[in-house]
Amino acid sequence: MNYLIPETLDQALRLISSQRNAKLIAGGTDLSVQIADSLISPEILVDISGLEELKGIEEKNGFLSLGAATTIDELVSSSILPHCLVQGAKSIGSPQIRNIGTLGGNICNASPCGDTLTPLIALGGILVLVSSSARRKVRLEDFFIGPKMTVCADNEILTEVLIEKDYLQGRSAFRMTGKRSGQVISQVNVAIWLEAGKSREIEKIRAAVGSVAPVPLRLKRVEQALKGRAVHERLLKEVSELINEEIKPISDVRATDDYRRRVTVTLFRDALEEALQGFN
Amino acid sequence: MHLEFICNGKKVSVDVPADMRALDLIRDVMGLTGTKEGCARGECGACTIIVNGKAVNSCLMYAVKLKGKEVFTIEGLSEESGKLHPLQEAFLEEGAVQCGFCTPGMIMSAKALLDRNPRPNEEEIEEAISGNICRCTGYAKIVKAVTRAGLGNNHG
Ligand SMILES: Cc1cc2nc3c(=O)[nH]c(=O)nc-3n(C[C@H](O)[C@H](O)[C@H](O)COP(=O)(O)OP(=O)(O)OC[C@H]3O[C@@H](n4cnc5c(N)ncnc54)[C@H](O)[C@@H]3O)c2cc1C
Ligand code: FES
Ligand code: FES
Repeated sequence: MNYLIPETLDQALRLISSQRNAKLIAGGTDLSVQIADSLISPEILVDISGLEELKGIEEKNGFLSLGAATTIDELVSSSILPHCLVQGAKSIGSPQIRNIGTLGGNICNASPCGDTLTPLIALGGILVLVSSSARRKVRLEDFFIGPKMTVCADNEILTEVLIEKDYLQGRSAFRMTGKRSGQVISQVNVAIWLEAGKSREIEKIRAAVGSVAPVPLRLKRVEQALKGRAVHERLLKEVSELINEEIKPISDVRATDDYRRRVTVTLFRDALEEALQGFN
Repeated sequence: MHLEFICNGKKVSVDVPADMRALDLIRDVMGLTGTKEGCARGECGACTIIVNGKAVNSCLMYAVKLKGKEVFTIEGLSEESGKLHPLQEAFLEEGAVQCGFCTPGMIMSAKALLDRNPRPNEEEIEEAISGNICRCTGYAKIVKAVTRAGLGNNHG
């Protein structure tokens, strides 16, 4: 194996489009384990974790821009990010993992339970994908096409994630269960962003769930059902049924699909309640 | 690949294979065997070192990534004279060590915490060592030891 450390984004882009069997590495917290387990065996690693172009959290042109090489710890320590994203980032691994793992790695690794994914879907996150010849934008909810599969091409680098500043208004919350470790039970997570009136009537809402379908899922029908209505117990029952129709959890050694369904509904209700607080 | 970095205050200049882990460089090439290998997949914290002020798992990190960095291992804590670091003293005084396998990693996580937050509370200590597993002590004495080392920091 060869290990290359480009100094600029342009160099990195040239490397991945000219070399065969090259793989990007950021923090390497996912990749190094996959390589050690022989799940993948790239001939060349291109390390983008030090590229200035991919770093930092800043406001520009009506968007909040999060560089792909921003570490999870930097997300946790940021004072300007929406609450659900900070909560999601905080729940990742351990301090040691958060110090090296990056936002771009969490997204591009495309695990259905990645903890920044549902928050970013709830916040309308837009990914900027750059190749040596083009630059395009993809909504995070359209980025995943299957477990561990994304629309990111081999010659593309995720450079930043954009969040429209409108999402800094409103409130958000993240809930998860089953921290990743040797003895995980399940890893369902839920994120909700919303704006509401004083009597709990919902004006705008976006919601997403992770780990209960092959890809992180935006709950569009649930959003529709909640919009313009005041949250009370009867509506929550109705919404629980809709959640059950939208998700497709599996049964495995860790948990049955029935258990995952119940957990999802409970997490959803908790997150909704937290996000609504403050509008009362 | 050739790399240079600072380890425990001293300049290191070595050639390493591209797929070598930082853990193997430190233990096998540099002979600093205080850093331990437990799980080799980021879950136990026995391999914790400090890179540019941050605690990291050296089992998940390619050695190449140390290039140009400032690195601390457990060997860098005590002084040349043999005088122990306040954290090491506190671990001894509180009896926070049983088999000792987790101790170097635990102390490195605690050091990263104290360096940025000299007087941490219990909750902050528990969070800082949440990536370090101890199979012997039950953690209470470890938390006490870190608290004690913190209380010795009068500049907090
Ligand atoms: C012990 C342990 C616990 C963990 N706990 C959690 C957890 O609780 N929640 C969670 O979500 N994750 C968890 N993870 C997974 C991992 O730490 C995170 O997904 C992390 O954010 C990955 O970032 P990285 O920079 O290390 O990615 P890397 O390993 O460097 O890369 C991951 C993948 O993304 C690709 N990639 C990276 N950056 C880019 C980019 N800019 N453009 C295009 N492709 C890119 C790489 O080629 C690779 O395929 C855990 C991992 C470990 C080892
Ligand atoms: S050996 Fe590195 S975390 Fe266990
Ligand atoms: S003292 Fe034995 S593992 Fe902690």
